[in-house]
Formats: sequence, C-alpha cells, structure tokens
Amino acid sequence: MKKVISLLLVLVMLLGIAGVSSAEEPQYGGTLIYAHGADADALDPHMTLLGTSADIIVNVFDGLVRFERGTTKIEPALATSWNVSDDGLIWTFNLRKGVKFHDGTPFNADAVVFDIERQINPNHPYYLEGKFPYAGFSLGMIEKVEAVDEYTVKFTLKHPYAPFLKNLAMFATCIVSPEAVKKYGEEIFKHPVGTGAFIFEEWVKDDHITVVANEDYWDGRPYVDKVIFKVIPRNEVRLLELEKGNIHIMEGLNPTDIKKVKDNPDLKLLEQPGLNIGYIALHNEKKPFDNKLVRQAMNYAINKEEICKYLMKDQAIPARGPLPPTIWSYDDTLKGYPYNPEKAKELLKEAGYGDGFTFTLRTYSAPRGYNPVGARLATAIQQYLKEIGVNAEIEQLEWGTYIKEGKAGKHTAALFGWMADNGDPDNFLNVFFNSANQGSTNRAFYTNEKVDELLIKAQKLSDEKEREKIYKEVQKIVVEDAPFVFLNHMKQMLPMRTNVKNYVLYPTYNKFFHKVWLEQ
Amino acid sequence: MRQKSESLWTLSYRKFCRNRTAMVGVVILLFFTVVAFLAPYISPYDPLEQSFIKSLLPPSKEHLFGTDEFGRDLFSRLLYGARISLQIGFISVTISLVIGVTLGLIAGYYGSWLDMVIMRVMDLMLCFPYILLALVIMAILGPGLYNAMIAIGIVYIPTFARIVRSSVLTIKEEEYIKAVKSLGAGDLRILLKHVLINAMAPIIIQATLSIGRAIINAAGLSFLGLGAQPPTPEWGAILSNGQTFLRDAPWVATFPGIAIALLVLGFNLVGDGLRDAFDPKLKR
Repeated sequence: MKKVISLLLVLVMLLGIAGVSSAEEPQYGGTLIYAHGADADALDPHMTLLGTSADIIVNVFDGLVRFERGTTKIEPALATSWNVSDDGLIWTFNLRKGVKFHDGTPFNADAVVFDIERQINPNHPYYLEGKFPYAGFSLGMIEKVEAVDEYTVKFTLKHPYAPFLKNLAMFATCIVSPEAVKKYGEEIFKHPVGTGAFIFEEWVKDDHITVVANEDYWDGRPYVDKVIFKVIPRNEVRLLELEKGNIHIMEGLNPTDIKKVKDNPDLKLLEQPGLNIGYIALHNEKKPFDNKLVRQAMNYAINKEEICKYLMKDQAIPARGPLPPTIWSYDDTLKGYPYNPEKAKELLKEAGYGDGFTFTLRTYSAPRGYNPVGARLATAIQQYLKEIGVNAEIEQLEWGTYIKEGKAGKHTAALFGWMADNGDPDNFLNVFFNSANQGSTNRAFYTNEKVDELLIKAQKLSDEKEREKIYKEVQKIVVEDAPFVFLNHMKQMLPMRTNVKNYVLYPTYNKFFHKVWLEQ
Repeated sequence: MRQKSESLWTLSYRKFCRNRTAMVGVVILLFFTVVAFLAPYISPYDPLEQSFIKSLLPPSKEHLFGTDEFGRDLFSRLLYGARISLQIGFISVTISLVIGVTLGLIAGYYGSWLDMVIMRVMDLMLCFPYILLALVIMAILGPGLYNAMIAIGIVYIPTFARIVRSSVLTIKEEEYIKAVKSLGAGDLRILLKHVLINAMAPIIIQATLSIGRAIINAAGLSFLGLGAQPPTPEWGAILSNGQTFLRDAPWVATFPGIAIALLVLGFNLVGDGLRDAFDPKLKR
C-alpha cells in the first residue's frame, strides 16, 4: 500500500512539473499534422480563391502587413512602417531589411514591384491572363507601383480606397520570390517560394502537403519542425483520426459530433464567432423573385432559429442581414425577418402568388465553412417553404459547375456563402450588392443605384465613423430589398488534441502555425 | 410445334416451382411489391414531415426503425422507398429491354453491315464499367431520379442486344424459320412471331437479373447525390445521408442498406431460378 501511495505521489509530482513547464516554456520540435476536407488547388497566393490553399500559403509567405494574432487589426510584416498622403492616394512602405526568400533571393522593393505588377499589368512578362482571381478586388485600385529605393515602395492609387491596408494583409497579396516566378513560369503554383515561417517541401496531390520550419525566419524560427496538411474528405473519418491521435488539428466538424469532442479529455474545441454568412441568392431578375414581396415572404417563411438550433446544433446563429454581428459597422437595430409563416403567406397573396409557386433550389452537397450540414440545409428549407405553399425542387450540383453557373446566373435560387477575407464590411456588402460584381460575386443579380453609389462613396472615405454610417444605411436598404434569404452565421470551430499549444483562431479563417507548439 | 413449345414453358414452370431458393426469391419480391402498393396505407407517418425535436431517435415502438436527422420516421420513408426502387428497376430495365432487344433482333437477323455497326457501338459501350458510363450520361442529362432511370436504362442496352443477337443467329438457321420464309412471311412477322418468341427465355432471365443490378446502380447514383433529389425517400439517398451519423445513429444507414440488399437478393434468386428452369441441359 505504501509503495502504491509513494508511487502515486511521485506521479503527481511529475505531472505537476510537466504542467508547470508546459505552461511557461514552449517546446521546439515535432511534426504537426493538420487535416482538411479538400486539397489545395494552387499554392501561388495570387492564383487561388480557396481557403484550403490559403491555409498553406499564409505559412509559406508573408505580406507587406499582416493581421495581429487572432484579430483583423493590422501590424507590420515585410513592411516595418508606412504612411499615406493626405488625399489618400499615395501609400509609401518602408521594407524590412535583411530578409531573404526561401530560394535565397533577397527581399527588396524590386521584388514587391515585380510581384504586384505581374498581377495587374497585362504587359508584364509574367502576367497570366485570367489566372489571378483576387487581383481585381485586392489590387484593382492601384494606378502604379514604384521602387523609390532598395527598401521603399510607393503605391499610387486611382482613387482613395479605405480598406487598402487590409487588402495587403490578405493571403492573396503575399509576396512571391521573383526569381522563382522567372524559373517556374506558369508552373509557379506548384512551387511556392516565399519569405514565410515554413519552407515548402512536397505536394502529393489529394494526399498531403508538407512544409518544414524556416530556420532563418525574420520573426523567429517556428516551434514545430514540420507541418503536414493532410486531405481526409469526410468529416466523420477526420474526427476518428483525431480521436486516435493520428492527426493534431482538423477543420470541418459535423454538428452532431460537437458533444463528442467536448466530452473527450484528449481533445479541445476552439470556438469563435465567425465572420461569414450563409444565404440563398434569389435571382432578382427572374420570376417570381423579381418581386420584392416574394423575396420578403421567402425570408419570413424559413425558420432560421430552428435550423441553427437543431440542424446545426448551435454551431451557427440566425442572420438578420448581410453582415455578421461581430464585424464593425454591423447595425444591431436591424430586426431582419423573424420566422412568421402567416406574414409570408400574406405577402405572397399580395404579390399575386396566393396559390404558391414552384421553383428550383440549387445546392452543393458537402459541408462548407458557412454551412456545417451541406445539402441537408436545402432539405430543411424545402419543408418550411412547403408550409406556405411554395414548392422548391432541389437540384444538387458538383461544386465546380455550381460556382461557374452561379456566377453566370443560371440559377433561379441557390445556396451560397461567404467568409471574410480582410474583416472589412466592404468585403461583404460591395462583394454581394454592387451591381458591377454581377457575373462574379453578386449572385442575386441585385441592382440598386443608390446602393452602388453608397458603396463606392464608402470606399473613398478614410474616416471609419463616416463609413460606418454609410454601411448602416446600405444594410437597411438591402434588408428591406431582400435580394437574399439571410440564413446564418456559423461559428468558427476547430477541434484539436490537447497537446497542441498556443493555437489562435483568426477571424479570416486562415490557419497560422508559426507560434504553435506541441507538448511532447 | 405449338404443342411442343407449350410443354417447354410448363416444364420450366414446374421446375421453377420446385426450386426452393427461387421460391424464397419470389416471396421476397412479393413482400416488397405488396409493401410498395400499400405504402400510403400502412406507413405510420408522413415520410416527408420534419420535426427537429424528434431528430435521430433510436428505434422504438413509436418509430420502428428510428428517425433521421430531420426527425422523419425512417420506417415510413423505407416503405415509400420500396415504391421508388421497384419503379427504378422496372422502368430502367424496360428502357434497355425495348431498345436492346430491337437492336439485337435487327443485328442478328439482317447481319452484314447493320450487324457490324450496331454491335461495334455496343462493344464500345461495354468497354466502360456500368457505373462510370451511367455517371457520364448523368453528367449530360443532369441530376434527378428520372434521368437516373434513363442513364441506367441506356447502360444495360448492350447486354440485351448481345444476348438477343446470339439467340437470333442460331434461331434464324432453324428449319422452321426457313419454312415460314418460304411460305412468304414478311420480315416483321418472322422476327416478332417466330424469332423473338423463341429467344424469350434468355431475355427473361437477363431482365430479372438486370432489375436487381439496376436498383443497386440507382442507389449508387443517389448515394453520390446524382439520382433521387431530396426529400425523395430513395434508399440509396437515405443510406448516403446516414453515413454522417454512422457512429451515433447507425440505424439511419443500416435499415436502407438491408432493404436494398434484400430486394436485390430477391431478384437474383428469382433470376437464377429462371435460368435453371429454362436450361434444357439441366434435367428435372
């Protein structure tokens, strides 16, 4: 008995020591395995729209500025300081000295100019027509970019553009080694060479991508030696691997599995309100959704509270308008469209659809960052609509076709969603509702001249208070016009093993592994 | 001659009735047919009615097979699903039967370049695995239950065409065909009244076996999200949906799986029984 007690005591002491040391001192070494549902499509920051690609990109590359850990505030990265002229047109950045790309190319003003120009200047020798999906949005306002001296870069904008700095913190504007671009040409998307915390090692398509620690990283060597991004398509299989300890962190959790993670002592669940929205784009130019009353009726008819609570198991909150509540300029006086089938029926009658109607509701099948239940969301919506006499025929399409046809407006109504790129309301409102974005991100084909005007005006203001006022006005108009059915905002949830330390969620969803360490 | 052909059918029928496994198949098929017809009368709940409070309940007295994530009664959904699966089997096989038999008759009877063209196209179709070819056709037609039936119907055409053609090749050399021909019968009459009737046995066997396979393939397409669209209670679609809850609510995937397996088994047993019954080499 004594022996047992003393043994226990020793054990407790050992555990205590381990606990203390882990809380205080990060450990170096180890391989961290992160699993996601789909493979990256391109590892050049400028050549992808996918979050799964961005998660690797942000660890291999740096931008001129970056988001402070876990926020959408800006802090220096490859630029140490910057200033902007009074008219908001000229931005000057002082660059960090002594930084080298992973291939040994020195980082300097010429490298920045080269990389920006290759995205926006069609005469640049390495410009690729139609291959840079973000450039129009992130850099389209740039008139010219010049190297003032070796470590100073000057941007001249066509018009003042308030979210400029935030755009430069996005994954899509990270800086790529010019020598690598020259070496690989169009194939650069397979050979990422940046200045980031990790160096790209290998990419086995649809299986895994490996990056290793950059010993000479300007912001200090990362704690782990290696990060492997593994592809495991199904959510429930990924969770099994996590429970078994074969992987450390995973994205994509089925709502029905939340409890399992919370109850497991080997796992922890990081949570954060998400900067995203899930919505139905009602094609505003097609019958019957060209009628505002019908669109409002659709909004009233769907019980968002019930969907969030039961179907998504509180993994999401109901949406009242286009903006998530945690973004600045969110209008918390908005009531949105609380569930009210009677009102919906009245509106339909008023619109001349008293007997209901039939339409095709398009959906994707797999869960996504703004919808944890995939196509099942459409099934739930279908039942609610049936109650007001509207018959929704569900059509599931493969993701590639789905997005292509969604951009082209082939749908009558389709489920979509959006996740913040830079934490600016412009990145939601302008993306969805500016009529200039029809054919790309304005999937409701919504046109309102007043809204267009307000959105452009807000971009040109630098005073956040003024912008906030405008964005609140836009929210009022848009909620009244109801081009979407505003559905839900999903929480960001990331299950991981308890031995993963110092991991921080970012509102932009990117996964940063620089400061993460593993308890051995 | 008439006398003789009748006795072949009766002989086969008797042989078939004596085949115990075949009878098990018949019972299974009868069971599912009755269930399919009576679904609206015997199902305890509306298969589409959702009630989130009752989601993913385990099997109980109230819900014999439990509920799915929308709180829909799984038992009722499976009952209605029997209608859909049988429909898929019969409609898709009818499509392949009509087209395949016609092509086979033409190819076998007329021969020469017609035979050459038809059979090479059939060979080409046979080059692809069934499900792959069905996927390609679905990609062209778009998703949906009826398109799935058409796709599967098209996929099985070559099998029927080949079987019929080879039967026709032997039958058309028979004395009685030559006799009818010399009596001045037209091609159509010969083909339908004499050739087709005598090629019937293998066609029936193939059709029965194909129905089973068609049901499995349709379930496969629905499993991939291409066949039946929600909220249609198609078995393959329910099974696919149940995957997600396999650890917490295994009943959602288990029961449709059993249903598919049973129904297909029924068709296979009957098909095998028919083959044995029609085979003149197997005596009694």
